[in-house]
Amino acid sequence: MARWGMVIDLDRCTACQACVVACQVENNVAPSNAGQAEAGRAISWLRLVPIQGERRGTRPDLQLIPLPCMHCSHPPCIKVCPVQATKIDHEGLVSQVYSRCIGCRYCTTACPYTVRHFNWKKPEWPAPMEETLSPDVSVRPRGVVEKCSFCHHRLQRAKDKAQAEGRPLKEGDYLPACAESCPAEAIVFGDLDDPRSAVVRLSQSPRAFKLLEELGTEPKVTYLSKGEWGGQV
Amino acid sequence: MSLDRRHFVGIGLGAAAGSALGVPAGRLFSEILSSANNSVYPARGKEGHCLSVCSMCPGGCGLRVRKIGSRVVKLDGNPLHPVNAGRLCPKGQAGLQALYHPDRIPGPLRRVGARGSLASFEKVPWERALEEIGGKLKALRADGRPESLVLLRRNGTDLGTRLARRFAEAFGSPNDVSLDRGDEAAAIALQLGQGVRATPVYDLPSADYVLSLGGALLETWNSPVHTMRAYGAFRQARTGRRGKLVQVEPRLSGTGASADEWIAVRPGTEATFGFGIAAVLLAEGLYDKEFAVDRTIGLEDRREAGGAVRPGLRSVLEKHYGLEKVAAETGISVNVILRIAREFAAARRSLAVGSRLGPLLPGHLSEHLAAHTLNALVGNLDQPGGLLLSDDVPLAPWPALPAGPAAASGRRQPRLDSAGRGDFPLLASDPEQLAEAILAGAPYRAEALLILGADPLLTSAACDRFKAAIEKVPLVVSFATLPDDTSLHADWILPEAHFLERWDLLTTPPGIPYPAVSLSRPALEKPLRDARPAAEIFLDLSRRVGLESAFPWKDLPALLRSEMDGLFSARRGALMGTPFDEAWIRMMEGAGWWVPGYRSSDELWQKAQETGGWWDPFYDHGDWKRVVRTPSGRFEFRADVVAQLASARPDEASPAAEPARPPGSLRLLLFEPLSISGGTGAELPFLQGLLDPGEEERWETWAELHPESASAIGVKDRDWVRISSPRGSIDARARVGHRVVAGVVAIPVGLGKAEGGRWAKGIGSNPLRLVSGARDRASGLPDFGATTVRVARVSGPKRASSSERRA
Amino acid sequence: MDKSDIGQEERLLRPIQETGRGFWIFAGTLLAIGAWGVFAWFNQLRRGLDVSGLNVPVYWGLYITNFVFFIGISHAGTLISAILRLAHAEWRRSITRAAEVITVLVLFFGMSCVILDLGRPDRVMNVLRHGNFTSPLLWDVCSVSLYLTASTIYLYLPLIPDIAILRDLIPGRRWLYGPLSLGWTGTPRQVHLLDKAISVMAIIVIPIAVSVHTVVSWVFAMTVQPMWHSTIFGPYFVVGAIFSGIGAILIAMAIIRKAYHLEDYLKPIHFNNLGLLLLVFSLLWFYFTFAEFLTTYYGGEPMHMTIFLSKTEGKFSPLFWTMFVTCFAIPFPLLANRRTRGTVWGCVVASVSVEVGMWLERFLIVVPSLSNPRLPLTAATYIPSWVEWSLFAAFIAIFMLLYAVFTKFFPIVSIWEIREGRESSVREVSERVESYLPGGAESAS
Ligand SMILES: Nc1nc2c(c(=O)[nH]1)N[C@H]1C(S)=C(S)[C@@H](COP(=O)(O)OP(=O)(O)OC[C@H]3O[C@@H](n4cnc5c(=O)[nH]c(N)nc54)[C@H](O)[C@@H]3O)O[C@H]1N2
Ligand SMILES: Nc1nc2c(c(=O)[nH]1)N[C@H]1C(S)=C(S)[C@@H](COP(=O)(O)OP(=O)(O)OC[C@H]3O[C@@H](n4cnc5c(=O)[nH]c(N)nc54)[C@H](O)[C@@H]3O)O[C@H]1N2
Ligand code: SF4
Ligand code: SF4
Ligand code: SF4
Ligand code: SF4
Ligand code: SF4
Ligand SMILES: [Mo]
Repeated sequence: MARWGMVIDLDRCTACQACVVACQVENNVAPSNAGQAEAGRAISWLRLVPIQGERRGTRPDLQLIPLPCMHCSHPPCIKVCPVQATKIDHEGLVSQVYSRCIGCRYCTTACPYTVRHFNWKKPEWPAPMEETLSPDVSVRPRGVVEKCSFCHHRLQRAKDKAQAEGRPLKEGDYLPACAESCPAEAIVFGDLDDPRSAVVRLSQSPRAFKLLEELGTEPKVTYLSKGEWGGQV
Repeated sequence: MSLDRRHFVGIGLGAAAGSALGVPAGRLFSEILSSANNSVYPARGKEGHCLSVCSMCPGGCGLRVRKIGSRVVKLDGNPLHPVNAGRLCPKGQAGLQALYHPDRIPGPLRRVGARGSLASFEKVPWERALEEIGGKLKALRADGRPESLVLLRRNGTDLGTRLARRFAEAFGSPNDVSLDRGDEAAAIALQLGQGVRATPVYDLPSADYVLSLGGALLETWNSPVHTMRAYGAFRQARTGRRGKLVQVEPRLSGTGASADEWIAVRPGTEATFGFGIAAVLLAEGLYDKEFAVDRTIGLEDRREAGGAVRPGLRSVLEKHYGLEKVAAETGISVNVILRIAREFAAARRSLAVGSRLGPLLPGHLSEHLAAHTLNALVGNLDQPGGLLLSDDVPLAPWPALPAGPAAASGRRQPRLDSAGRGDFPLLASDPEQLAEAILAGAPYRAEALLILGADPLLTSAACDRFKAAIEKVPLVVSFATLPDDTSLHADWILPEAHFLERWDLLTTPPGIPYPAVSLSRPALEKPLRDARPAAEIFLDLSRRVGLESAFPWKDLPALLRSEMDGLFSARRGALMGTPFDEAWIRMMEGAGWWVPGYRSSDELWQKAQETGGWWDPFYDHGDWKRVVRTPSGRFEFRADVVAQLASARPDEASPAAEPARPPGSLRLLLFEPLSISGGTGAELPFLQGLLDPGEEERWETWAELHPESASAIGVKDRDWVRISSPRGSIDARARVGHRVVAGVVAIPVGLGKAEGGRWAKGIGSNPLRLVSGARDRASGLPDFGATTVRVARVSGPKRASSSERRA
Repeated sequence: MDKSDIGQEERLLRPIQETGRGFWIFAGTLLAIGAWGVFAWFNQLRRGLDVSGLNVPVYWGLYITNFVFFIGISHAGTLISAILRLAHAEWRRSITRAAEVITVLVLFFGMSCVILDLGRPDRVMNVLRHGNFTSPLLWDVCSVSLYLTASTIYLYLPLIPDIAILRDLIPGRRWLYGPLSLGWTGTPRQVHLLDKAISVMAIIVIPIAVSVHTVVSWVFAMTVQPMWHSTIFGPYFVVGAIFSGIGAILIAMAIIRKAYHLEDYLKPIHFNNLGLLLLVFSLLWFYFTFAEFLTTYYGGEPMHMTIFLSKTEGKFSPLFWTMFVTCFAIPFPLLANRRTRGTVWGCVVASVSVEVGMWLERFLIVVPSLSNPRLPLTAATYIPSWVEWSLFAAFIAIFMLLYAVFTKFFPIVSIWEIREGRESSVREVSERVESYLPGGAESAS
C-alpha cells in the first residue's frame, strides 16, 4: 500500500507562490477581497511562511517555506475531532469530511502547523466566476473546516486511469496541483513506501528535515534545506 | 439532514424562548440555516483538453486547458512545451480569473459622457462601432494624413499585436510605439558589444557561478517560468555540482533572498561593482586571455591611424574603477570585492547578468554593459553556461505591403516620439516623448490613438502627461479586455478577447535559447461578453479602411496556417515533445539528420495543435558569424561608452560624498512583485492575495525603509507614511527592516488603479505618480531611481475591520 | 405539616407571594438585553461566524472563554454545597439552594456557548451520531451532561419538601407544585429516603464536578500547543472554577439578601465563612498560577516563552496584570483582613474582582496561545465583535433573569433545611462536639 509524501527543496524554491495559486484554483477555494484578507478570513490551503534563519550581521536571512498540510502520520488534528470529520486513510492521506464537520474548530487549534482553515462565511464566486469550479472537488459550505487534501481527487483520477489502461499506478501518475505547477520543480511527490521513488531518495539527503518534528507528529512533508556552494547536491 | 435541523430548531426555540421576536421561528431557522449550504455546481458536459499559450506576460508558457463541457476549469502547463515543461507561475495559474472576471467590458463601448468613468459609456453593436471608427480612419487617409495615426501597444509576438503593427504600417503611420521596453537596456548593451539587437539569453542550467547585478532572475526575468526552471537545474539538477548565485542590489528582492550571497550595494552602484570586479580580473590576470586575443577588440590601448591613443578597457577601468574607489562608492569592502572577483574567475562556468529587465531601473544600460564586459572577460560568449543568442524563427514571411504612395509618404514622416533620432538614437520607442509631442501638437497633430494592451495612464513614467495628452486626440480607441485606467479616458473601448478565446501564434519568448513557435487555439467556442480577438478586429478594420490587399487572409487560422508552412520548408526543428524526444532530436540534428515527426505541412499544422507547436532544440555553440556582427567581426569592449558612463556618475568627482540631505529625504526605489508585474495582476483576487511573501503584505501598498532611515523621521514598522516628490504624493504602510539599505524607500508598483475591476479599483497607490522625468543618459530610458522623495508619518486610513496584522 | 409550621420562615415565602414593580423593571431590562442577544444570534446564524472577531489563527475567542468561565462558575453550587453538606457545616443551610441554582443554570449557558461557537450548529447531533471518543470535546459533552443531570437532581431533591409546602400554601399554583412535589407529605420514611438520596447525590456529585473542569482543561491540555500542554491544567482549572464559583455565590447572596431583605438568613457570618473559603482559593490560585508561569519561564522553551512574554510584557500584558490584581492583589488583603471579610461589601468587592479576574484568566488561556502559532504566519489580533459581546451580555442577563424567576417560584433559601436546623441541629451539633471530646459517646456519623 502506498504512503504518499512530499519533498520540498528549499534550495530550488524561489518563493514565487505558483503553488499557492495552483492549489486555490484546483481546489475551488473562493476568491477573497481586501476586507476579508484584513479580517483574517482569506483561505489558502498552502501559504508561504517566513522562517527567520540565522541573521548574517544585520541582514535578514529570509527563508520562505511553502506550507501545506503535513499529512502527519500521527496527526494531532484527528484525535480531537468530536465527530470523526477528519480522518487518516490507509494511504496516509489526512482528509476532511465536510458534510460531517460541525465547525467546532478544535482541529484548527490542535494542528501545530496552523494549516487548517475555517469557512467563516459562505464562499462566493461572483458570476461568471463560478464557471471555473472544478467538478472533482466539492464546494465547501459555510461553517466547516477545510485544508490541503494532497489533492486526493487526483489520486482517484490517476487510479481510474491506470485501471482503465490495465496497469498499476506508477510514479508521477498522481501529482498534486502544487507540485505540478512549481516552476522551479521544487516540489516532488510520491510514495514513501516505494524505495525507488524520488521522495524516498530525496528524504535521505543530509539536507532533509521536517517541521516541528519534535512534536512527534511525523509529518509526511520533508523539506530540503538550502545547500552550500560546492556542498551537497 | 432534516432530522438535524429539527433537533436544532428545538434547541434554538428553547434558547429563544421569551424572545421578543414574534416570528414563526421554526421557518425562519430553516431558511437561515439553508443559507449556509451552497448550491452544488453541477459538472455539465464531458472533460476535455486543449492547448493554448499564456499571455499574462511575455513569457509565452504553453498551457494545457482543462475543460468540462464548455467551461474552462483549470490551466496547467503544457508538459510538452519547451518554455515551461508543464509548469506555470502564479499569474498563469490565475489566468481563469481574468477570463471569467465579472467586470469584463461587456462589449464595444462608446463614450457619451465625461472622461474618467465607466458610467459615461454606452454599449453599441460591433458593426456600428467598427463602421464609425473605420470611417474616421478612412477619412484620415483620404485626407492624406496617415502619419497622424498612433499605435501605442504592448510588446509581444502575438498575432493581435503583429496585425496591429502591420495595420499601422499599411495605413502609412510611422508611429508604432511600444510602452513595454523591458528588454531595451539589455538589447542595447548587446548591440554595443556584439552588433546584434536582441535580448540576451543566459544559460543558467549549465552555469556554476552567477553574478547578478540587480537582476530579478527569479521573479520577473524574461520568461519567468523558464528562468525559474533553469534556476532549479542550476541549483540541484546536476550530480556533484551546485551553482552559486550572488545578488548585487540595494533591496533584498525575492531573488536576493534565494541567493547564496546578497551584496547590499548603495542604490545605483551595481554597475560600479561590476566594473570593479572587471578591473580586478584584469589587474590580477584572471581573465580568459586566449578568448581576449582571438575574439575581442578594445581591451588594450590602441594607436589610431592619426596617432592619437584610443584608450582600451584596461586603462579606462584602471582610471575609473580602482578598488578603493569602488569600495567607497558601493559601500562594499575591498575584501568582498576581491573575493567575489576571484570566485568569479575560478568557477568553471561563470556568468554575469545585468540589471532587472524593466524600464523601472535607473542607469540600467551601465549594469548590462558591466555584465556583458564580465562575460567577455571570462570568455563565456556563446558557450555553455554563458551568454547565448536565440536564432530566428523560420516562419513564412507575410507578403510585402502593397505599394501605395500615400502610405509610403506617411511612413517617411518623423515619428512623434522621436525614437531613434535626436538625443537617444538607441531607443526604439519613447512613449513619454510621445505624450509630450501629442500635447505640443508637433511635429504634427495626432488624430487617432489606438491603444492595445497598454495602460499608459497607470504604467507610464509620464502617467499624468498621458492623461492630458489623451484629451488632445480626437479619436482614442482602447482594446482593453478589463476596464483599465486608460480605457476610462478613451472614446471607444473595443474589448479584445481573452487569450483563451482566440487563435494565436507566438514566436520565441525573450530569454529562450531555441527558436520556438507556439500555437494556440481558442478554448472557448466564442468569446464571453461579446469581445473579439484584436487580430480579427484589425482584419475587419483593414477592409473598412481599404487596406484589404495588405491583409489577404480569409480568416485567422488560414493566416497561421500559411505562416507555419515556412517551418515545414525550413527542414529543421521538430514538434514540441517530451525530454526524451528533445534529447533524440538534438542528437540527430547534431549529427546532421532531421527527424521532425511530421511528413507534410498539413501534418505539422495538425500535430502542432496537439503538442503545442514547433521548436528547434539544437543549439550550435560558437557560431561566431551569427552571434557577433560588429564591423570588426569581434566582440568589442566599448571602453568609450564605459568611460562616458563612468564620468557621468554623480559622485565621480567626489567619491562617497553623498550630498547631505535632510532626514526623510530618500531615494525612490521601485520594484514589481511577480504577481502584479508589468502593470497587470492586481485585477485578480488570487494575485492580490499574495503580493509579497516576505513582508506578509496583501491588498495594500507598502514602503520599505531601513531602520536607520525610519528612526530619523520617527517612523515605526506598520505606521502609515506619506511619500511625496515634486510630482505628487502617495500614502503607504511603512515596513521597517533590513531588507533595504539605508537612504532609500522601496515601493512596489502595480497597485493604485483607478479601474481594473472590483478587486483592483482603489486598492493601494501608484508610485509612478512620484517619479521625476529624468532619463538614463546613455540609453534614454526613464530613470526612476533619480527621484528623491520625502517621507513623513501620517495617520492611517480608517479601516473597517477590527483586526490588524502582527508587526 | 401545616401552615403554622412555617410561621417563623414566613419571610422566605414573601418573594414568591408578592412581586413588586422593581422586579418587573429588573426583569424587563434583562429581557431586553436578552432579546438583543437573540437578535445578535440571528445575525450570526444568518451570516455565519464571519460576524465574530475570530480569525486565522485565533480560531477560538469569547465563546470558548465564556464556556470555560461559565462551567467554572457552575462549581459554585453543587460542589460547594455538597462538600458543606457532607462536612455537616451547619452554616450552609441558608446558602446551599442559592448555590445549586447557579450551577444548574450556568451549566446550561456553558453548554450553549459551545453551540454558539459551532460553525454548523444544525449538525450538533453529529456528536452523538459520529462521536469520536478520543476527542476531549466529547469527554466534555459527556461529563457536562452528566454534571447537569446530577446537579439538577441534586437541586431538585432538597426542593421537594419546600415544593410540598408551597403546594399546600398556594392553591393557585397547584398545577406546578402538585406534580413536582411527588406526593411529599413528610412521613418519616419519606424523610429518611430523602436524606439518604441527598447524601448519595452529594457524594456522587463531587467527583463529577471535579471531573468536569478537569476535562474542560483537557480540551486545551491534550493538544500540543504551547502553554496549553500542561499537566497541572486539571487541578488548576478546578481550583479556578471553585474560586470563581464561590465568588458567584457571594455575589448572589448579597443581592438576594438585599432584594428580599433576608439579612436574618444571610448573615455576616455566612459571608465571613465563604470569604474565608474564597481566601483559601485565592491563595491556591496564586500558587497554581505561580507554579505554571515559573516552570514555563524556567524551562525557557522559545515557543512557550513567546506566549509567556506576550502575556507578561507583550500585547496581553494589560489584561494579564489586571488579572493578577483582580484575582489576588485585591481579594487577598480584603479577605485576609478579618474586619473586611466579615462585611458584606468586603466580600462582594472581593468576589466581583475575582469574577473579572477569572474571566480574564480564561481569556488569557484561550487567546494568547492561539495568537502566537508555532509557525510565524500572518498572526492577527483578536478583538471580539459586537455580536460576541452582545451574546455575552445576553447570557448574563438571561441567567440573572432565570435566577430571579426561580426565586419567584421556589424559596431561594431552603425552608425545611432551616427548620431542620432549628429543630434538630443544635442538638445534633452539641452531641457531635461531645463525641469528639474524651469520654464522650461514640457517634454514628
Ligand atoms: N509573470 C510576469 N513576468 C513578467 C512580466 C509580467 O507581466 N508577468 N512582465 C515582464 C516585463 S514587461 C518586464 S519589464 C519585467 C519587469 O521585471 P523587472 O525588470 O524585474 O522589474 P522590477 O521587478 O520592477 O525590477 C525592479 C527591481 O529593481 C530593484 N531596484 C530598484 N531600484 C534599483 C537600483 O537602483 N538598483 C538595483 N540594482 N535595483 C533596483 C527593485 O528593488 C526591484 O527588485 O518583467 C517581465 N516579466
Ligand atoms: N503600476 C505599474 N506600472 C508599470 C509597471 C508595473 O508593474 N506597475 N511595469 C512597468 C513595465 S515593466 C512595463 S513593461 C509597462 C507595461 O505597461 P503596459 O504596457 O501598460 O502593460 P500592462 O499594464 O501589463 O497591460 C495594459 C493593459 O492591457 C490589459 N490587457 C491584459 N490582457 C489584455 C489582452 O489580452 N488584450 C488587451 N487588449 N488588453 C489586455 C490590461 O488589463 C492592462 O490594463 O508598465 C510599466 N509601468
Ligand atoms: S499538519 Fe495539521 S492538519 Fe495536517 S495532518 Fe498534521 S495536524 Fe493535521
Ligand atoms: S471543526 Fe470539524 S473537523 Fe475540526 S474538529 Fe470540529 S468537527 Fe472535527
Ligand atoms: S497537495 Fe493539493 S491540496 Fe495540498 S497544497 Fe498542494 S495543491 Fe493544495
Ligand atoms: S511554486 Fe515552487 S518555487 Fe514557487 S513558491 Fe511554490 S514551491 Fe517555491
Ligand atoms: S511566466 Fe508569463 S507566460 Fe508563463 S505562466 Fe507566468 S504569466 Fe504566463
Ligand atoms: Mo516591462
